[in-house]
Amino acid sequence: MGVSWDENNGVPMSPSLDHGVALPPEVRTWLEAQLEREVDLPMLPESAARVVALCDDDDADARDLEAVLERDPSLAAYVLKVANSSVYASTEPISSLQQAVSRMGMATVRNLALTASLHGRVFDVPGHSKLVADVWIHCAVTAMFAREVARKLRRNVEAAFLCGLIHDVGRPIVLQTALRAARTHATLTQEQLATAMDAYHESVGARLVGVWGLADWTAAAVAHHHEPDRAAPYETEARITRLADLLAHWALTPGSGPEDFPVTDAVVIDLNLYAEDMEELLDLREHVILAAEALQ
Amino acid sequence: MTNDHGDAHFDVLVLGSGPAGHKAAVQAAKAGKRVLLVDREATAGGECVQRGTIPSKTLRESAAYLAGLRARSEDMLDLALPPQMKVASLMRRLRDVRGAHERYLSAQLSRNHITRWHGKARFLSSERVEVSMPDRTKRTVSAEFVVVATGSRPRKPDNVPVDHEHVLDSDSILSLIYLPASLTVLGSGVIACEFASLFAALGVRVTMVDASPRPLAFLDPELTAHFSKAYERAGGKFLAGNKIESVEWDGREVVTHLAGGGEVRSEKCLCAQGRIANVAGLDVQAAGITMTTRGHIQVDANLRTSAANIYAAGDVIGPPALAATAIDQGRRAVRHALGLATSVQGEFVPSGIYTIPEIASVGLDEAQAIAAHGGAVVGRARYEELARAHINGQTDGMLKLIAGLDGRLLGAHAIGEHATELVHVAQMALIGGLTLDAFVDNVFNFPTLAEAYRVAALDAAAQLAQRVAA
Repeated sequence: MGVSWDENNGVPMSPSLDHGVALPPEVRTWLEAQLEREVDLPMLPESAARVVALCDDDDADARDLEAVLERDPSLAAYVLKVANSSVYASTEPISSLQQAVSRMGMATVRNLALTASLHGRVFDVPGHSKLVADVWIHCAVTAMFAREVARKLRRNVEAAFLCGLIHDVGRPIVLQTALRAARTHATLTQEQLATAMDAYHESVGARLVGVWGLADWTAAAVAHHHEPDRAAPYETEARITRLADLLAHWALTPGSGPEDFPVTDAVVIDLNLYAEDMEELLDLREHVILAAEALQ
Repeated sequence: MTNDHGDAHFDVLVLGSGPAGHKAAVQAAKAGKRVLLVDREATAGGECVQRGTIPSKTLRESAAYLAGLRARSEDMLDLALPPQMKVASLMRRLRDVRGAHERYLSAQLSRNHITRWHGKARFLSSERVEVSMPDRTKRTVSAEFVVVATGSRPRKPDNVPVDHEHVLDSDSILSLIYLPASLTVLGSGVIACEFASLFAALGVRVTMVDASPRPLAFLDPELTAHFSKAYERAGGKFLAGNKIESVEWDGREVVTHLAGGGEVRSEKCLCAQGRIANVAGLDVQAAGITMTTRGHIQVDANLRTSAANIYAAGDVIGPPALAATAIDQGRRAVRHALGLATSVQGEFVPSGIYTIPEIASVGLDEAQAIAAHGGAVVGRARYEELARAHINGQTDGMLKLIAGLDGRLLGAHAIGEHATELVHVAQMALIGGLTLDAFVDNVFNFPTLAEAYRVAALDAAAQLAQRVAA
């Protein structure tokens, strides 16, 4: 029995924020109906769902996890690839799943299973690979920054990582649905597609997280990472995700320097981070991007 | 009001709004002074409310409630916790508890017209302080008197890599999402034992490791032995006399390497090896404040630092580092600064340890009493002798009364549920200089745990009578 987070706290399917170029009214109506009721949300692949369940099972051990990975060659290959990346590898190369699980730990492997699933199932929109790849790297960098923000605040690091990783999971789903709308209703410009993603990604993401059975605070952070004050009682989780989101945007903007980060943004003040705290977080830029790239 | 520098000016400036700072500010305001209270957190209460006493005791209450319920249900109910139980579920009341306490503290500050600034302070001199606000603005303030009550934070030893993910401190352990299957606790002091016993009560496999020969080594050995038995019954282990060589996360578990060889493996590790004073960034040298060799602010008997107009109180001046003592220190510091009558700190300050079971103590222990008074008798009451303890289903406990050979009460030590409440009866008796007769001749409610006083007093009185007869 957890602290309940009521989805009716407000995940409106209509845009909660005023975003960019307006959508044609008939497209908006159709899109909202699709996103609210009819769109098929992607399920986790069986192997990823098994990995997540095993990692939450007190009696499971690393051997059980290895057995699941052995039955899914693509997932196993991904885990080995990340284990051999510069973030995790020592001088000794990882050559077995047993070594990889031992090196990274079960919680990390669980996050990798989710990551691989997101990559394959959700972040796959033919014809828009550049746009979706940008969203993906943004999510990975947000996840890595969220860990560091949580560490600084002495909050839960693993939970922050997951919230960061999936905070924008609704974007590719909105994009896929908007492209279907464009086929049947009206041509949508790139700006209008961006408007649709900005407007609806939080609510769709929260629905997806609910379908996947992830924790309440994860759903709250995904639903309200642009307006964390609405995520009660999980405002702090949502604020960490929001700050990591801002840090990721800043870090991935070419040519931006520390002076370009909005250090007086409300979320920085709400998290009670002072100038020196933010300087330390901004200094992690290269490390965070390197670690995020290892997830690709 | 501003001074010649254009600084804001107050009669009293208090740095930190924890128990010591809050009380100091209220005391100064009640004396008619203009008071500024500066805290790095937006809400009043300091670490006590945000990360320390209030959150940990809320979690402890849930654990103790479950342990008590198990004892009372006598297997009628299956009260095993689900694997990977959410810690957040056990702390669901925390938001309400913390909110209520913050509202109470804030209302008291407002009622006394105390000005509050949210920011980090740095001394420019003994009279001037710069405050950096979270919005990156800075303000400067001067004051006739300053009280430093900036508290403490967990110590991070060099050989323990606290990453707040696998190796936690007493702050970050409260953000655990799920109960770990196993936990190594480094240390054997109050914080280590409080967390070790509460996680053991929740079914976590806990191993406490320390160089000390026993947990809570500063306490009456009989109470320590009683605690150890209760902790071991709950499944906890204590590895005595083991120094920590190093700690590492090997990718699967946290491995604690012991100096004498051997290792302890666990899912999570809690580093509870003391706390250090929060003085980083304060630039105490600029104010002429002297530090002790252990890194605390040095004060005299009146809580005045080496700078004549600056006082310090609470955890920042070191032991006993109890919230209750801090409140008293904050009040006394301000009264001395303002030239108001100050009582010497009461001789009889109780200590409460929120382990499962609770431990409380006031006055002298047996050895101290014999050394100071040439002899003593010890009267004991075990909870199993008390009807109320049986009704509560909590018969694991004991009260020890220490009396001089003239029958005067010299100390009391209790272990068991409600021990931290029970000890105040003895505190009042000590302050009043009462003898064992006061407990024997007066009527206590029945059934209550306070009846333990009569039982223990009768036991001690019987020993005194035997001595006289001999």
